[in-house]
Amino acid sequence: MTRLSSPEGQILLAEGTPLARSEITLPYRRSAPSAASLYASTLSPPGSRSQSPIGRPASRIASGSVFGGFASNAHALVDGVGDSPGDPLNLILKAFVPHVAVYTSEDTDLLLREKGFELGLWEILRPFGDRVAGKVIIRDSNGLSRTYEDYSVHFVRYGEGIEHPEPMNSNIKSPTQSEKVADASEKDTGSQRNRRRGGNGADVEAVVERHLTYAEESFGISPQLMDPKQGLDTETPSPYYSLYLRRLLSGLPLVPHETFAHPVACVIAISSRNPSPIETLRRLYNDTSAGEKRLPSWVDSEYLRYYVLVHDEEKDDITKSMSLFEQMKRNLGLHCHLLRIRGTQSAATDDDSIPLSTSEWMSAAEELANLRKHDSQEDFEDPTRYIYESDATAIRTFIREMVTQSIIPTMERHVSVWNDQVASKRKGVTGRIMGLTRRWGFGTTSKSSSGGPGSSNYDSLGFYRQDAPEAIMRKLADYCFMLRDWKLACSTYDILRSDFHGDKAWKYHAAANEMAALSLLIMPQTLSSKTRAETIDTMFDAAFYSYLTRCTAPYGAIRCLILGLELLRLRGGSSVDEAAKWGIRLLESRIAGPIGDALIKERLAVCYASKKSMGTHAWGARRRKSAMWSTLGAETWLTQAKYIQAQRCLNEARKMYGDLPNDQGIDHFAEASAFMLEIGRQLNQHLQSNDQGENSTDDEASEPVDEESEVMNERGRRISTLGLPGATAATLEAAPLRSQTTDEDDDVDSGKPNDDFG
Amino acid sequence: MSYYFAIVGTQDNPLFEHEFGTSKQGGDGMSRFNEAARHMNQFILHSSLDIVEEVQWGTGHMYLRHVDKFFNNFISCYITAGNTKFLLLHQPMTPNSAAAASSRASTSIAANPTSPQTEEAVRNFFVEVYENWVKTIMNPFYRVNMEVRSPVFRQRVAAAGRKYL
Repeated sequence: MTRLSSPEGQILLAEGTPLARSEITLPYRRSAPSAASLYASTLSPPGSRSQSPIGRPASRIASGSVFGGFASNAHALVDGVGDSPGDPLNLILKAFVPHVAVYTSEDTDLLLREKGFELGLWEILRPFGDRVAGKVIIRDSNGLSRTYEDYSVHFVRYGEGIEHPEPMNSNIKSPTQSEKVADASEKDTGSQRNRRRGGNGADVEAVVERHLTYAEESFGISPQLMDPKQGLDTETPSPYYSLYLRRLLSGLPLVPHETFAHPVACVIAISSRNPSPIETLRRLYNDTSAGEKRLPSWVDSEYLRYYVLVHDEEKDDITKSMSLFEQMKRNLGLHCHLLRIRGTQSAATDDDSIPLSTSEWMSAAEELANLRKHDSQEDFEDPTRYIYESDATAIRTFIREMVTQSIIPTMERHVSVWNDQVASKRKGVTGRIMGLTRRWGFGTTSKSSSGGPGSSNYDSLGFYRQDAPEAIMRKLADYCFMLRDWKLACSTYDILRSDFHGDKAWKYHAAANEMAALSLLIMPQTLSSKTRAETIDTMFDAAFYSYLTRCTAPYGAIRCLILGLELLRLRGGSSVDEAAKWGIRLLESRIAGPIGDALIKERLAVCYASKKSMGTHAWGARRRKSAMWSTLGAETWLTQAKYIQAQRCLNEARKMYGDLPNDQGIDHFAEASAFMLEIGRQLNQHLQSNDQGENSTDDEASEPVDEESEVMNERGRRISTLGLPGATAATLEAAPLRSQTTDEDDDVDSGKPNDDFG
Repeated sequence: MSYYFAIVGTQDNPLFEHEFGTSKQGGDGMSRFNEAARHMNQFILHSSLDIVEEVQWGTGHMYLRHVDKFFNNFISCYITAGNTKFLLLHQPMTPNSAAAASSRASTSIAANPTSPQTEEAVRNFFVEVYENWVKTIMNPFYRVNMEVRSPVFRQRVAAAGRKYL
């Protein structure tokens, strides 16, 4: 067995161990602790990470019993629901937030490069967008104000991640309308993927796989994972599942069929070094509204432009910048900001430097690229960046000001205007008739119909142009969703569903169905099982079918069902069964990769475990199902050589079976219990060989294995003692092996008459 | 196509297990479960007890019909007055073998686990098994939750399977 030891004395496995697979063959000369920072999101519980520059309040760490004990299945979406960062609902709220494009002049890029940020202003802003400091007040369509503590925005680079609806020239250039019609006569037969952004299931898998492998390598067995007493945690998901979900949702690609990634605003930045600032700003503005770099014609071009002057505190004169800023305000309106940062790079040793975390919402492809880069590097350099405290404060203030004073009011205005002018026409009786007549070709509402009379806005192009009523309504609905006005969002998506269906715009149809169902589920109202069956099921069904069969977009299908599963699970009660149904549907379709498959199985176990039971006999609980899925999860992890995960699942399964009212769990079923024993045996073998291979320096690691094997023996012995497994006497014989179960057995024996009916 | 029948006692303990295949439509009465996944039958059956415990309170009948589904496996349940559960796992033909045997009428009960005909056939099967079950446990030496190993009972269950399924 070949081993290499790093300078810190930590021993890493190389070839020769069962763990070593093809990719582990490259030499590990890096120091493990610094590598750990790349995997921080799964190594430590997500709440305890303190590197964020945003300064989370303490309340975010305590997950508490947020979902505990609600009477109806309408979970109140008060602020603070889903406070734990890995929580699925929280992830959903944070994933679908306004996207702010960043477009900068060359001199700004230069300034930031000197500061150590290769990718420019975007890179330094991005982590701060994950949480807008302070409270954000949003007025909904009824004029009610709501305050949110945890609002966030995503910064993206301008013009990045565009996915075109049909095969076009690879540049972003948008041809004039007449050319486009000619070009785009074909419908979306295939979409070219921009690898830089998310929306790719394989990348997500690869990232989680890397994290898992790293965990397998660096800890053989960590004590807390081996603790059999640790129950199935229904509150906080496993870090790997949360990572999977987060990467699935991050870096939403810029696509026609949903507008979440369309820029709500664009930050146009110049620096104080610019010799001709106003001209440069004009040029940048023109770039975003016309010419080569314009976004495609399905992106609304009326988004907000926010002008930023980046002032270098160390080299430039503040009075000059101030006067320039005044001039900017006069020329360009009020959406301006003067951002004062220091032009030099901050090092960890500086007094007032704070570490800048990487953004939580980095896309899967990006994280993968980071990890690969790190693998190929001979000497590992710490990826953690540092910035000055004063810079952090300045950026925080800037983002807060931009969001609360410019972005949110603009969005609110758009929502009310669009709602009045476009959506209200379609609601009510006349609207519905209009919708019908339009479809039959008598209407005059279709503004941009470029085909013959009676054709829809979709037919000829393969997408809706930005000024088509459907596109505006979709934007309205998405804005409502981002502003958390679920009701209006839901009703708008609902109208769109039928429109898109009529136009056979299947990808749009799928996306509208997906979001309609999600907003309906997030809305704090009790859903009867009838509405659930009638509306939500049909929506998910339609979305899943359209994504998968009509458009071959597995990413959309996975996202839709996983989010559906999570939201249904949170509703509790019989919704949990529905949630599991969709999870099983997802497994059945086999669109998730092996990692996703195992994670979903694990999640199904959690899902079933979270169903509350009633009465003393725990009727209505789904503990046996939960245990079964844990076992299946363990099996799946085992085949992928992820022994820690497998061990954890198996422990959960054992615990769940052990908690059943009859203490024997599944032991009486010979083949099933033999199967569990076999998994346990294989795991012990692998973990033990791993353990010995590690030349274990810490005794802690080896101990639990012994304990575990003892448990195994116990179980094995128990089975063998059950020569007559049906007899009650056998049950009694087996009972003393476990202290906790004796009471229950006594209960049974003391002849409570009801027990035989339980 | 393949059936796994189990009688489960009040402590989730199996009292009787039997595997068989369909005898209708020229079936040979042999089960065709995947050898590698044989344990799954037991897991599935055991886990469906969760559903049985819930469903039993919603109906006055002893036959609970089809209670649960796990991928391609369907579970029907009949609950006796003594809270013993008869569980029948029904696995229709796998798609590839179904293609080979598509000439067979698609109305066969083996192919349509949720059809009313199947439910009726399963009910008849359960009722017959129940009759024999009651006779068997009338044995003065039988105690509750004791495994039944009577070869006569097994024969009768097999006969009922041949007759109805």
